[in-house]
Amino acid sequence: MTPQPRAGSSWTRRDVLRALGLAGSAAAAAPLLNACGVGGGGGQAAQNGANAVSGGFDWKKASGTSIKILQTPHPYQQSFQPLLQEFTTLTGIQVQADLVAEADYFTKLNTELAGRTGAHDVFMTGAYFIWQYGPPGWMEDLNPWLQNSSATGPDYDFEDIYEGLRTSTRWDFKKGSPLGTGGQWAIPWGFETNVVAYNKKFFDAKGIKPADTFDNFIQLANDLTDRSQNRYGVAFRGSKSWASIHPGFMTQFSREGAKDYTSEGGKLQAAMNSPQAVAFTQKWVDLAKSAGPTSWTSYEYPDCTRDLGDGVAMMVYDADSATYPKNKPGASAQAGNLAWHPGPAGPDGSYATNLWTWSLAMNSASKNKLAAWLFIQWATGKEAQGKATAAAFADPTRKSVFDGSFKQTLGAFPGYLETFERVVDSTKIQFTPQTNFFETTEDWSVALQEIYAGQDAKSRLDALAAASTQKVNAT
Amino acid sequence: MTTTIPERHPGQEGAGPSPRPGAEPKPVSPGRRKLRPYILSVPAVAVVIGILYPFVIGVYYAFLNYSAVNPDPVFIGLENFAFVLSSGEFWHSVQVTLTYAIAATLAETVLGIGIALLLNRSSIVGKIFEKVLILPLMIAPVIAAVVWKLMFNPQFGILNHVLGLGSTFDWLNRERALWSTVLVDLWIYTPFVAILVLAGIRSLPKEPFEASDVDGAGWFYMFRRLMLPMMWPYILVAVIFRFMDCLKIFDIIYVLTAGGPGDTTRSLQVGAYEDSIINLNYSRGSTYMFLLWAIVFATARYLVSVLGKAQRRAAGEEG
Repeated sequence: MTPQPRAGSSWTRRDVLRALGLAGSAAAAAPLLNACGVGGGGGQAAQNGANAVSGGFDWKKASGTSIKILQTPHPYQQSFQPLLQEFTTLTGIQVQADLVAEADYFTKLNTELAGRTGAHDVFMTGAYFIWQYGPPGWMEDLNPWLQNSSATGPDYDFEDIYEGLRTSTRWDFKKGSPLGTGGQWAIPWGFETNVVAYNKKFFDAKGIKPADTFDNFIQLANDLTDRSQNRYGVAFRGSKSWASIHPGFMTQFSREGAKDYTSEGGKLQAAMNSPQAVAFTQKWVDLAKSAGPTSWTSYEYPDCTRDLGDGVAMMVYDADSATYPKNKPGASAQAGNLAWHPGPAGPDGSYATNLWTWSLAMNSASKNKLAAWLFIQWATGKEAQGKATAAAFADPTRKSVFDGSFKQTLGAFPGYLETFERVVDSTKIQFTPQTNFFETTEDWSVALQEIYAGQDAKSRLDALAAASTQKVNAT
Repeated sequence: MTTTIPERHPGQEGAGPSPRPGAEPKPVSPGRRKLRPYILSVPAVAVVIGILYPFVIGVYYAFLNYSAVNPDPVFIGLENFAFVLSSGEFWHSVQVTLTYAIAATLAETVLGIGIALLLNRSSIVGKIFEKVLILPLMIAPVIAAVVWKLMFNPQFGILNHVLGLGSTFDWLNRERALWSTVLVDLWIYTPFVAILVLAGIRSLPKEPFEASDVDGAGWFYMFRRLMLPMMWPYILVAVIFRFMDCLKIFDIIYVLTAGGPGDTTRSLQVGAYEDSIINLNYSRGSTYMFLLWAIVFATARYLVSVLGKAQRRAAGEEG
């Protein structure tokens, strides 16, 4: 068929299709042409917004604006939700809170921050995530905001936040630098210490007390285990995830005097194969086998706390705030029977404890930075935190709030206050900060699983240390 | 057997019903006539943009060193491919993926055919089961995996209780984890194969079977020499669907074991997820995905060519 000439039209169907093809190619090639950007994912951090704020401090300074915050459903978030209207009344700033389930939260957050859209001005984050989100410039350094008296109210009292928490959210992103140096990338909002929760009713009935040394703890857990009764000594996480390392394992690892890395001349050297580390790891894995859950390698914290609540696990070594809900009336079969203990001290009496903190951070691509800062300042301030902890149970990050309203809520939680006070001064992030944290720490959990399956602890940890040293120094 | 293809005549617009005698077709304005091809091409353009664009970007990332800690990537050629292809982790993931895909597809095919043959008998029970069989397919694989994870739990799971395995039998330990994930796959997808094969059986002509019956052929002879060759294209369609799907397995494994214990169940998709989403190493994750795509593409090409041959053979066009 011969194409017929068309009068009065300069575009043929082929022309249009060709143009669409070219447009498609151009779209596909855009990142090629913008080699540094990769679709907007890279580039330097936006300029810090604190310097643009001047004059006296006033909560109404950003009145009439709106911000969006990204959160995951959590006791901290739930305790603040009813208070958001108070913030709007105080500041004239409208807040839209978007919730994403915890399982998908960081996937959503990674994608959004990498896209540099600034869709959410403020987001919840854990401290470890700062090590990943900070270097690409996705987070606003909040230190200039804290230092600017035009932006931060005179009553804010940042020093009231526990020191271990303040330093855990600061880093300069330099290999080998400790936490507490460099920018303040997030403000701690709520946190968890990793301690032992136990079935007090069972302990009391048998005349048992929690163990004070790790060897006694192992013995106690073994004595409590009776597989024929479907009862075992202690639950702790074992799934293939970085999250299996950070609670009980890292806490006791640190108490036993072991380190994850040592630093020398700006290079990190993995130390999870040191003699103390190997000895402790072997004991930990043996404990999982002899007195842990049968399917330990798939256990996450809800599995551990469920077994505690069901009366199947006699102890749990995990976050205090993960176990307390099981003690609420009607929440589990063992509600009212649970109590808390700091867990075994190290050979030198150390109560070094690893922490998790939910913090509030500002998206560096935010277009409403002053409003975002006012929100962070309000949510982490004394007044709002005091009201939130009175309404719902969550470890407050401020000493004044803990000593004030929070203590009133602890009556039904035997040992909780004593445990908290025992460990809080030794509570900080026990990991060495490094930008490959999630990859290398998941590798660590894989090594534990393989030792559990029968591999030799020393040789497996040697291999892990060699691989981790190479990975952390590669970037 | 010959097939008559209706001949098309010049000017005939389509194969739809003929217009009523005397009814004139509604005239189409020249503007609408000009616009029609572009409107019709919109879905194709959307597909090109929606699928091809991310694909091209993904392939492009595989040639960069793009990660969260390196947001200003540069072109590094084939370095990612060299790294991935020389790592034991990748080849272990290939082995896990192929083992999973072959085991699940094989078992589902055999079981699916067996179930289809049983359901083909017209009985009340068969008719009820035919309906019930679809239920696992109505459940999202992630939800099914979550439910199975609870059932696998040695402390309170129903499986250990019913099977009398006590609280010490671990379905998800190093030796059993992969087979347990395959078991969940079987539970979800065997009905898919069964239903596809059952539809195939019911579309077969009755005459050859009646003739064989008259000649005194036994059931197994008829199954092997008549039914199986004629059903082969349907079975192959099921095999292609299942094998392709299994090569891309992620949800069931991730929910049950997250690729563990150790790296026992680390499939290619799980590896790509770990690299891209957990470790934020987009380039290495993209390399994994590109290599997985190459495997799926080559396998699909091969299986589709086998299917074509089987269809021609079933139609009597090829020896």
